[in-house]
Amino acid sequence: MTTPVHFTHNGRPVSLFTEAGESLLSLLRLKLGDQTPKYGCGQGGCGACSVRIDGQLRLACLTLAETVDGAEVETVAALSAPNLDPLQEAFMDHFAAQCGYCTPGMIVAARTLLDTNPRPSRDEVIEAISGNLCRCTGYEPIIDAILAVAAQEVSA
Amino acid sequence: MKVLRPGTLGEARALIARPGHVAVGGGTVLQLGWASGATPPEALVDLSRLGLGDIAASADGGLTIGAAATLADIENDPQLSDTAPLLARAVRDIGAPGIRRLATLGGQIGWGAGCLLPALLALDARVFAAGSTDPVDMPLADWLAAPDGLVLSVTVPPQAPDATWTWRKIGLRAAFTPSVIAVAGLRSEASAALGAGGGPVPPRRLPVSEAAVAEGPEALRLALEAEIEAPDCIHRTGRYRARVAAAALTRGLFGTPRAPAAETSLKVPAAEPPPEGLRSLEGGPGGPEWHPRPDGRAKITGQAGYLTDARAPDMLVGRILRAGRPHARILSLDTSRAETLPGVAAVVTHADVPGLNAFGIMWQDQPALCHDVIRYEGDPVAAVAAVDEATAETALQAIEVVYEDLPVIASPAEALAEDATRLHQGGNLAAGFDLERGDVEAGFGAAAHIVEATYVTPRQMHVFLETEGGWCAPGDDGTLTVAVGGQHGGRDREQLARILDMPEERLHVITSPTGGGFGGKDELTVQPALALLALKAGRPVRLHLSRAESVLAGVKRNPMTIRMKTGCDADGRLLAQEVELVADCGAYASLSPAVAETALEHALGPYLAPALKTSGRLAYTNNGVGGAFRGFGANQMTFAIECQLDRLAALTGLDPVEIRRRNLRRPGMPGLMGHKVAGSERLAEMLAAAAASPLWSARAGPDGDPEGTGMALNFQGNGLGSLPQDDGEGELRLAADGAIEIASGLDEMGQGLATALQAVGAARLGCARSDIRPVYGDTQAAPDSGSTSASRGTFAAWSIARGAAPGFAEKVLALAADLTGVEATSLRLVPGGVAVAGTNSDAPIARFADLARHAGTALPRQKTAFAFPKTDYTDGNARFIHCYGATLARVAVDPVTGEVRLRALEMHTAAGPVIDLAAYLGQIEGGLIQGLGLTLTEDTLFREGRVLTTNLDAYMVPSIRDVAPSLRVTALEDLDADDPWGPRGVGELGIGAVTPAIANAVAAAIGGWPVAAPFSPEAILELATGSAAA
Repeated sequence: MTTPVHFTHNGRPVSLFTEAGESLLSLLRLKLGDQTPKYGCGQGGCGACSVRIDGQLRLACLTLAETVDGAEVETVAALSAPNLDPLQEAFMDHFAAQCGYCTPGMIVAARTLLDTNPRPSRDEVIEAISGNLCRCTGYEPIIDAILAVAAQEVSA
Repeated sequence: MKVLRPGTLGEARALIARPGHVAVGGGTVLQLGWASGATPPEALVDLSRLGLGDIAASADGGLTIGAAATLADIENDPQLSDTAPLLARAVRDIGAPGIRRLATLGGQIGWGAGCLLPALLALDARVFAAGSTDPVDMPLADWLAAPDGLVLSVTVPPQAPDATWTWRKIGLRAAFTPSVIAVAGLRSEASAALGAGGGPVPPRRLPVSEAAVAEGPEALRLALEAEIEAPDCIHRTGRYRARVAAAALTRGLFGTPRAPAAETSLKVPAAEPPPEGLRSLEGGPGGPEWHPRPDGRAKITGQAGYLTDARAPDMLVGRILRAGRPHARILSLDTSRAETLPGVAAVVTHADVPGLNAFGIMWQDQPALCHDVIRYEGDPVAAVAAVDEATAETALQAIEVVYEDLPVIASPAEALAEDATRLHQGGNLAAGFDLERGDVEAGFGAAAHIVEATYVTPRQMHVFLETEGGWCAPGDDGTLTVAVGGQHGGRDREQLARILDMPEERLHVITSPTGGGFGGKDELTVQPALALLALKAGRPVRLHLSRAESVLAGVKRNPMTIRMKTGCDADGRLLAQEVELVADCGAYASLSPAVAETALEHALGPYLAPALKTSGRLAYTNNGVGGAFRGFGANQMTFAIECQLDRLAALTGLDPVEIRRRNLRRPGMPGLMGHKVAGSERLAEMLAAAAASPLWSARAGPDGDPEGTGMALNFQGNGLGSLPQDDGEGELRLAADGAIEIASGLDEMGQGLATALQAVGAARLGCARSDIRPVYGDTQAAPDSGSTSASRGTFAAWSIARGAAPGFAEKVLALAADLTGVEATSLRLVPGGVAVAGTNSDAPIARFADLARHAGTALPRQKTAFAFPKTDYTDGNARFIHCYGATLARVAVDPVTGEVRLRALEMHTAAGPVIDLAAYLGQIEGGLIQGLGLTLTEDTLFREGRVLTTNLDAYMVPSIRDVAPSLRVTALEDLDADDPWGPRGVGELGIGAVTPAIANAVAAAIGGWPVAAPFSPEAILELATGSAAA
């Protein structure tokens, strides 16, 4: 059974068919060729597939593709154009990406936080990315990068 | 599976009544199951169109919350914190922000297992449901006891403003965790309301305990322990759940009883100055030594080009059929039905293996595809390539295999029993090691103090976030490209050539970039099946393991049981040491024998004793496959020896620094096997750095929980050791676009190879880092530099730059002389190009791009070869060059739950010059936190050869809240004047001593040493109360 879905993907309207039970992650990676959200566990346990749906943080692996009909779906690719998001610059500057596989999800989660809470405390940063696992860094440079951007954006 | 979206309640109820139909809100609970390998239901009945998501004030001044309201809706409701602060607090402990956007209140109730239920129960919530016959309006507790119909909403009365309330969710880690148990309580003059539930604990009100509240805290605690009904699960016992729930509720409602300060016999070392030259490594941009990584931009944009991301129009999808049983004989294997399915391009079995159907880095005992016997659940039996995922799945199910199950060997003890079923022809002893030196019995006879303990270490899983996978494509010219994340392309090629019976020259192996390795991608993973599929189909195939399959198939850290008996004289000097190691190899050798041998190489740590006896037994079992993992056995043995030292310190009255100082090996002495070791030993300096740590005098936190500081020393060898071949090649070359390429066959797994290659190249040549383009992880693009394992990448990169730079520079300068007319001897390399020597100006007179154009096709290149320095010992394997460290941990022990919380971690390191500050710090911090996971939360659990922790909801990687809020790393960079071996690799140093540092800190806090990692909170509680009673 296939269902048509229409939504905007990183600002571009798309229409396609989704199989019953198909996850948004699979739709993005297999049908739309957007490989920026990553598969890590398929059960919402790692955050590597974090995306934004209508501005809110969501896990693409847990989201049924057909439920995004009419929604705005954004992956980290949306943040990179035309210029890099300051968070992306900060992740680079702080060496917050090692293997980099968790990074797109981390950045999406962090951007969602800063959009609603431009001046988060360290604890609020930790809470906002607590669903995103990183196996390489020990998290410290990630927290530093997000706090650095928050300080910048508030003072700007 | 189909998804149905009823528009009315009536339709919804009719659909849910059908077999195989499941009502779903956010779907988060269901997904947990099927991502762990469970079969999805026939149909999902999505309730989102019923419009049940509202939250509104109720008639009684409380809130009515629709069943479809998400936990995030509840969390963000502006009235909630006034109306029901208990619920507001509780909801934030469920899942993580992304989960709370999906998970619904209805799901919490409908599954009967939500962590929120204890809070709702204690708040006297009422359920409004479309019952099977009539509308239902009843207390939540009654509905849960006999669920009837579909929940439509829940009404939460206003919380009594004068009530003392408490909420506590106890999990398996600090955040984003499954529930061990959750409790909620309200207490006022007149009444009390208590609830418990979460995870496997049935959600209940606790009326007997509520009545006991009036009798005071002790009566309440006892009543709760008796009343809470909690089952065992794979992680925690029911008894523990009830006990901590009782303690948490009692403490929450009556305040903290003042615990007596823990009596500990451990002395604190006297303060002393740190060693000269030790410096703190500060992370973050700004400093001259801090460089962004060259692959950073690709990573932060999500465009890093992981090999599992590759897509091409004609690419098939590969899947592997795993046996799914731990030990069996294959009676028959029939793929004919799968082969004829439309859309299936290839099905392969052992019959399709043209060469040797076996692999293994050192011992080839693991089949590419099983032909007779299954030795672990993840053993591959067949593989399919099809046009899409769904067809591949169908084809897998169409393969018919008949098995005869065989007796399961579930532990090394069973494996080594005399009459045990043999897993391999040679028996179940995969490797044995024995060593005796000096008179151990006499040593123990003369000892003033003897300590003996048995230490256990877990089957840690690598959990690289990118699971195993990639793609493979046959070329027109009889070549085959295999692109799968790995740690040594050259060796993968050698192994694949053997399996495929194909000359190595026709194999092109790409291994980078990969999303984490940690040793888990050192051995072949999916390459054999993938290559066989591509060859048979004659088309490109991609394959990416699901997490559940990765858990089943991949190598793990070898679990070890280490009995250690250590004796010292009255002054704390070691007299005798006896070590008995038993390790679980899993089903095939991989690198496990080398891991066990490395563990025994650390049997005395960095200490001296006149008598030593060690024995090691590595046994084949049906418990998955063991193999390489960061630390490679050293960290397991270090756990044991470093705890023994602190135990002896306590008995002798010495402090942890002094007892180590008295026993420390001195520079220039032979290694444990009597072998020669390289200079630049820095153990005494690391010990001095530890002694100088401010953590010894850290103040306890405001909550009054017992705290302690502990330390441990470690050393980690670099390189494969004295026996294996361990050399490599590399190249510097000028590319046509003017970039200087530094080419090495090493791999980028995240550790910062690319940035390290730039660093060593720029340092040797005098150009800028940005002039250099690192080339790696591709057998066609770079020469074989050996494996990216055993902390050897740093030496390899440094050797390549050192070896190739002089010849390359000479060729570039000659080219520049030819272009500019200036004599080569008057030129030098500078950032951007070549400048005139002897001037102050760094302005290039010829840019590298100009030189490349001038060179045409005769671009300068310089190859070099290096050999990893080895020791003279050849009776077994031993390392020659090492790096050194001291780790300190400051911990607090939660007296309610027994959980250990890190307050601070500090590591001092000595590994020669830091070639890239950010990568160095990243490796140490990452290693520390991976070690923290091993110590406190991580274990791949098996029962009768079957894995129980099937995905990340049960296998607990440290979350961001589990890490220490304070991390400090220092480095001592100098080398001995005559040391020619350069910077040491630190990929494994960080993980080396975390476990004993934390164990010793726990002992300082509560007076007893945890011995089995991960330290179960239950065992810690018993240690704490046991020692208090003693």
